[in-house]
Amino acid sequence: MNAPAQTAEARELALAGMGASRLRKEDARFIQGKGNYVDDIKMAGMLHMDIVRAPVAHARIKRINKEAALAMPGVHAVLTAEDLKPLKLHWMPTLAGDVQAVLADGKVHFQMQEVAIVIADDRYIAADAVEAVEVEYEELEAVVDPYAALQPGAPVIREDLAGKTEGAHGKREHHNHIFTWDAGDKAAADAAFANAPVTVTQHMHYPRVHPCPLETCGCVASFDPVRGELTTYITSQAPHVVRTVVSMLSGIPESKVRIVSPDIGGGFGNKVGVYPGYVCAIVASIVLGRPVKWVEDRIENISSTAFARDYHMDGELAATPDGKILGLRVNVVADHGAFDACADPTKFPAGLFHICSGSYDIPAAHCSVKGVYTNKTPGGVAYRCSFRVTEAVYLIERMVDVLAQKLNMDKAEIRAKNFIQKEQFPYTSAFGFEYDSGDYQTALTKVLDAVDYKALRAEQAAKRADPNSPTLMGIGLVTFTEVVGAGPSKICDILGVGMFDSCEIRVHPTGSAIARMGTITQGQGHQTTYAQIIATELGIPSEVIQVEEGDTSTAPYGLGTYGSRSTPVAGAAIAMAARKIHAKARKIAAHMLEVNEADLDWEVDRFKVKGDDSKFKTMAEVAWQAYHQPPAGLEPGLEAVHYYDPPNFTYPFGIYLCVLDIDRATGETKVRRFYALDDCGTRINPMIIEGQIHGGLTEGFAVAMGQQMPYDAQGNLLGNTLMDYFLPTAVETPHWETDHTVTPSPHHPIGAKGVAESPHVGSIPTFTAAIVDAFAHKGVTHLDMPHSAFRVWKTLKQLDLAL
Amino acid sequence: MEVKLDKQYPLDVDAERAWQLLADLKAVAGCMPGAEITEQLAEGSYKGAVKVKVGPAVAQFAGQVDVLEMVPAERKMVMLGKGADKGGSSATMNLTAVITPDAANPAHCVLNGTAAVIVNGKFAQFGGRMMVQVSDMILAQFVENFRQTALSLPAPAAAGGAAPAASADAPAPAAAPPKVAGELNGLAIFWALVKGWFAGLFGKRA
Repeated sequence: MNAPAQTAEARELALAGMGASRLRKEDARFIQGKGNYVDDIKMAGMLHMDIVRAPVAHARIKRINKEAALAMPGVHAVLTAEDLKPLKLHWMPTLAGDVQAVLADGKVHFQMQEVAIVIADDRYIAADAVEAVEVEYEELEAVVDPYAALQPGAPVIREDLAGKTEGAHGKREHHNHIFTWDAGDKAAADAAFANAPVTVTQHMHYPRVHPCPLETCGCVASFDPVRGELTTYITSQAPHVVRTVVSMLSGIPESKVRIVSPDIGGGFGNKVGVYPGYVCAIVASIVLGRPVKWVEDRIENISSTAFARDYHMDGELAATPDGKILGLRVNVVADHGAFDACADPTKFPAGLFHICSGSYDIPAAHCSVKGVYTNKTPGGVAYRCSFRVTEAVYLIERMVDVLAQKLNMDKAEIRAKNFIQKEQFPYTSAFGFEYDSGDYQTALTKVLDAVDYKALRAEQAAKRADPNSPTLMGIGLVTFTEVVGAGPSKICDILGVGMFDSCEIRVHPTGSAIARMGTITQGQGHQTTYAQIIATELGIPSEVIQVEEGDTSTAPYGLGTYGSRSTPVAGAAIAMAARKIHAKARKIAAHMLEVNEADLDWEVDRFKVKGDDSKFKTMAEVAWQAYHQPPAGLEPGLEAVHYYDPPNFTYPFGIYLCVLDIDRATGETKVRRFYALDDCGTRINPMIIEGQIHGGLTEGFAVAMGQQMPYDAQGNLLGNTLMDYFLPTAVETPHWETDHTVTPSPHHPIGAKGVAESPHVGSIPTFTAAIVDAFAHKGVTHLDMPHSAFRVWKTLKQLDLAL
Repeated sequence: MEVKLDKQYPLDVDAERAWQLLADLKAVAGCMPGAEITEQLAEGSYKGAVKVKVGPAVAQFAGQVDVLEMVPAERKMVMLGKGADKGGSSATMNLTAVITPDAANPAHCVLNGTAAVIVNGKFAQFGGRMMVQVSDMILAQFVENFRQTALSLPAPAAAGGAAPAASADAPAPAAAPPKVAGELNGLAIFWALVKGWFAGLFGKRA
């Protein structure tokens, strides 16, 4: 059992622990097509479900005729809201304290809303039967504009809420009003503005977009009528929360509900919510006593399951003439669609939008967010970001640029002038966030030097001076701070469950180990990186550490993976569980070496007797002893569970710079250079971090340059196929340059902050900043996304710049 | 999705006959490719159907047409059509049609149509951006059918100011109405669109 005589460095390298660019363990099965996704699951006797959806955005249902559909061979059931009523499942609670129709109950609130379900022998029969269900609608006037929705005479969207003046987040002022949520100090902010020498304002719309993961949402529900047990395979980023919700809705004891998230083909927030399709498949399985599969198609995915953003924002900054920011005010009208189904911690109806003071030391700030119902799909999820942080970062970064342009200041200089300084951390913002750590100036200097910022500005000035230049050059700079890792359970919960996360580690007698987690990977590479944390903590090679997630019957309870919380919360739980094992291992090693615990040193994979290198016990030897003959008074075995309730959020940051050229003839934009420096604290696997950053930048590029969900005045969604909805491929995607600094989080056990969402959050305003910057010399302060060639060309035309 | 149409079609038909046809909704429906009136519900109110074929898919709109206004003195007709198909699309059209005589040539007139068309559901989602072009196509077919049908009507008896030459050339009043396409053929529409697009391209360069 003795380890070969190797140097500590060589042994450390062999562990492939934290800091190693270890290849992803998941990829072997994915690249061979051996993944196991929900749609791969086949069960004996399995039936298939398809959904009858509303063609119009707002209508009364006058009549539903199932006869023709039921008469089709192979059709087992057609269910409507009337059929779910006796089970009290025709409506369900949302994560945001509202209710949502599972199947339209007499009224349609948005196009593609679920109206009826068909269960049939196969997917094709189900789809044909959907066409045969006759629904008669009486169309009503649709409201798609949130400002129009708040007018006195606006059509009533939610008749079920008639007379309800108190919502989940306070008073409702209007029949289409959901909540108004305030943060910061209004009086202090108003005072800052009243005396300010310089103020700027800007209106901007962050368009409605969709996370559009490669795999759409779906489930296989299987109720065993004999045992009274329900097993559901589901595309969920939070399987344990789904188990709790399913138990609460169905009345089946939580111990008899098993939720399994198998391999998940991307989530990006789209797979956080509980959707009507899941509930219907579960009900159908209970009613029919057979497994029922439901998998949405692409059009259904984009149209009906959880969009993101749709914030109409008005920002204001007050400043001194030399560019020191004195105050920030923000007003937001948030379009939540027909039901408030946002996925935010319960107490935060606008998520963590109040991180909108950004990386800057702003003494007075206030924001107010008004949630509004419209005849659109419900949702409002965090698309590859922590709750509403993308919107917040976009707002403050745009506003700082607007101020710089007003003062004729350089956009890098104004940022440096307003940064929270290194020595101010931990820093409490005007909104009450306690930023854990940061060193913005060092990172900014690194980026400006790397791209030779001065030379770029000189080149831009030369291009602007030349009326015959075929291109306009734009430079976008963003210096953002995120808030991730929700969150401390005293302020963060989902349906009353605190937002902790968990890990259970078992070290086996022969020294290998398994870790089970409350999170679920959707492409983040948990099976690779989590093992690396344990490898470093316990001296066990990551290669022999299995990581399992997603099965609620085996994994400890956790809140799941979204909002970059896996590393900040679950990563901490791993380290803490490992440390419990480490403490027990030390006791065993001391017993084996017949010394006091205090006489032992830990080195990579072994406990050594102080001052005598020849006397040591490796973790593998200790593990054997733990099962073979543990010391008197100690339980056998070597395992631990830890539930980690984070004391604070973590605050990753980054400095992004984009250089682009706009073709004055066509409006097409070519990203010449994109330099992304990220600081996510301690880095676990640099290769995976880089991959995450590439992915996040690419999704950011998609949002900024093309993604949108356009609705017409009647509430028709005019872009719900991949022909319209922009998913960039290798052809469109620019080349990315990445860089980093390391400022560990002081409150996190391993100092890690989370990274996968930073590139999305940070890159979107960088693209917008670069596009606007290209037109800045013509007085343009802001242009709304998406910056498609046509829209950019229209701006060129308006400004008489088109060739 | 809403599309507003405002069209003028000069016709080589006198205003009298054009109005005679326009005032007969059932006959007008016969000029619309793929459309037919299936039932009269009341004076000026009809049930009808429109069939559109795109490749293997057939959409059958069933609905109602109501004449809202009929002003013979102005040769003006206002109607509202509403329809839906089982596949999840619906459409409404508010149309004002006016026949104005051609001052220069009494044997000619102009058919003026202004309409607001609202389309919901799959047609709006998947066909939205083609709507203007498709309506142009359909209307062009309609106007041609309208023209031929109107020409086949008996010429106005001794209409004051009718050109004698035109009377002499007038065919026997019993001429059968021309055959019109039974349904909207998607392939034909597509072909016409492609032709139109290319024509537009070269037109711009010329």
